Amino acid sequence: MKIPHFGRRALLFAASMLFAIYVLAPIAWLVSSSFQSEAEITSVPPHWIPEQPTLENFTTIFTAKDKVVTYENRREGDTATGGFIPSTAKNLLPSMLNSLIVAVAVVILNLLVSVPAAYALAKIRFIGRSSSIYFMLTTRVIPDIALVVPFFLFVQKLGLLDSKLSLIITYLAITVPFSTFILTGYFESLPDDLDKAARVDGCSRLQTLMLVYLPLAMPSLVAVVLFTFLTSWNEFLLALMFTQTLASQTMPIVVASFTSDFNISFSFINAAGVLAIVPPVVVAIMFERYIVSGLTAGAVKG
Amino acid sequence: MARIRFEGVGKNYPNGFVALENLNLDIADKEFLVLLGPSGCGKSTTLNMIAGLEDVTEGNLFFDNDVMNTVPPHKRDVSMVFQSYALYPNKTVYENIAFGLRMRKHPKDEIDKRVRDAARRLEIEPLLERRPDQLSGGQRQRVALGRAIVRQPSVFLMDEPLSNLDATLRISMRAEIKQLHQVMQTTFVYVTHDQAEALTLADRIVVMRSGVVQQIGKPDDIYERPRNMFVASFLGNPPINFMDGTLEVEGDRVLFRRGALALALPPHIADRVAGQAGRAVVLGIRAEDVASHSGALREDGLQGRILSVLPVGSDQFLEVEVEGTRLFFRVGKEGQYKEGENATLKVNLNRLHLFDKQDSQSLVW
Repeated sequence: MKIPHFGRRALLFAASMLFAIYVLAPIAWLVSSSFQSEAEITSVPPHWIPEQPTLENFTTIFTAKDKVVTYENRREGDTATGGFIPSTAKNLLPSMLNSLIVAVAVVILNLLVSVPAAYALAKIRFIGRSSSIYFMLTTRVIPDIALVVPFFLFVQKLGLLDSKLSLIITYLAITVPFSTFILTGYFESLPDDLDKAARVDGCSRLQTLMLVYLPLAMPSLVAVVLFTFLTSWNEFLLALMFTQTLASQTMPIVVASFTSDFNISFSFINAAGVLAIVPPVVVAIMFERYIVSGLTAGAVKG
Repeated sequence: MARIRFEGVGKNYPNGFVALENLNLDIADKEFLVLLGPSGCGKSTTLNMIAGLEDVTEGNLFFDNDVMNTVPPHKRDVSMVFQSYALYPNKTVYENIAFGLRMRKHPKDEIDKRVRDAARRLEIEPLLERRPDQLSGGQRQRVALGRAIVRQPSVFLMDEPLSNLDATLRISMRAEIKQLHQVMQTTFVYVTHDQAEALTLADRIVVMRSGVVQQIGKPDDIYERPRNMFVASFLGNPPINFMDGTLEVEGDRVLFRRGALALALPPHIADRVAGQAGRAVVLGIRAEDVASHSGALREDGLQGRILSVLPVGSDQFLEVEVEGTRLFFRVGKEGQYKEGENATLKVNLNRLHLFDKQDSQSLVW
């Protein structure tokens, strides 16, 4: 009796470990290699723990200056010298700021639209209610690539090419239906009687939403915030189409551009990658306690 | 102060479903009105309309002399108690009770005083700092009541408030609600599908079915003089017995006849159906309107084979087969009955009910 139980646990443990390694190994490699020199990174066998840890990659990012590749300095373009940095390195920090602005704007605007929409879809009966939910969902089965051309024309006609606004608008178009759908499902799971009780207690519809449902909907709000933030932060295809200069280029575009030089510095790209995962991690940590407290609040049914 | 008046009120849904049909109802100030009916009969719709939670799609709803059709709930002076209690799960008991007052911007010290008064009255003072998930069902129901009474509304709405409680608690809470009504001196509208609750609490009962009012009246009237077979069958435990048969006229007497069974109808019924020999009717005998009998019957009782005897503490229930119909009766414990034997029961003729076979309406009304 005890042994099968133990065996089951051991199996579960082994499986979870395997999964954790599968998920975490690339990240570990990313972090480790960002502290290695180009020479060390390419050594065989690879070093999981840097033998000569260096902050050079990071200092380069923060001190990168304009750099023009000329006949004289082209030898520096040899990665073996260790002095190579991509010609667009200086764009990294400004592009991260762009990404952050776009992502935060999308998160905020998304909530402003999807929360009231979800409340209305979940708690107010009106003609066309269920069909509108399904319609919103169908917009999500269309792959983004199919929408690139219409989106591009739309953005171009509005004169928004190479502007952060173009990204904010299109990212909202992508994320709002999904957030609304998630929140609608959650609001529907909260009892209708709460809505009635609040309104009889003196709340307008908006107050009911803000004072009664939102505090209870924390877990789903957090899910929506994370989803929207990550979608905007990571989005590549549309950003590639709509942006041209640092006025709007986002982090994924600039990191991708590091591979389009004569040479590629993997250590530098990895350092940029480490910086790129910092904001999402910070957001996740910020909301972690809300995820926990929100879940317990939601578990209580009136 | 609130008198509530429905004038030809209806509720139709876009898909064609009619939840409520042509409701005309005048609820007096300080009345305790109970809406009674099976689920889907439109009683909750009616209640929600008073609260403003559902639109009136036909007719007019008045509070005193004001048309309320489009007034949103937060601008009506009503409060409501729900079957599910609907307490705010993230707020303490205190905050739950105070919420309505806060929304109406009462001063802080007044809120505190009122919340504590209400809590004292409902004996939930020690619970004020708890959250709803730390309370039992009965305690939650008290908090829900507290939340409603603290606002001192002019109309008090209750949607099956006791249905989620266990049986003993339900009976004691019933008494408390009745007392609350006397203390608060406001209009109560109470929805239930429990006939016992309706009979105990109501000044007047409205019996509804499929969105149509069947009968409005005092509890005794509804019980003693049901307007149709539905009302008759909805009240009473065990439910009233129905028996198909025909009318027979013998001189100045009118008899109900089914096979060998003949019952003389009392004068107040006989007058209404005089000269209608052969008419197909349905006789209603309430379970408690029989008594043990020995000796010969003279069209004042019935005989049948006992199918089962169910003692229920104070009384016993008899299932008797009479002329091919199964009837349920409640008789005193002193009678000795055995399964399979024959029972002779005297019927309280004055309390018989007679309905038309076709439209199931009472022939006495």
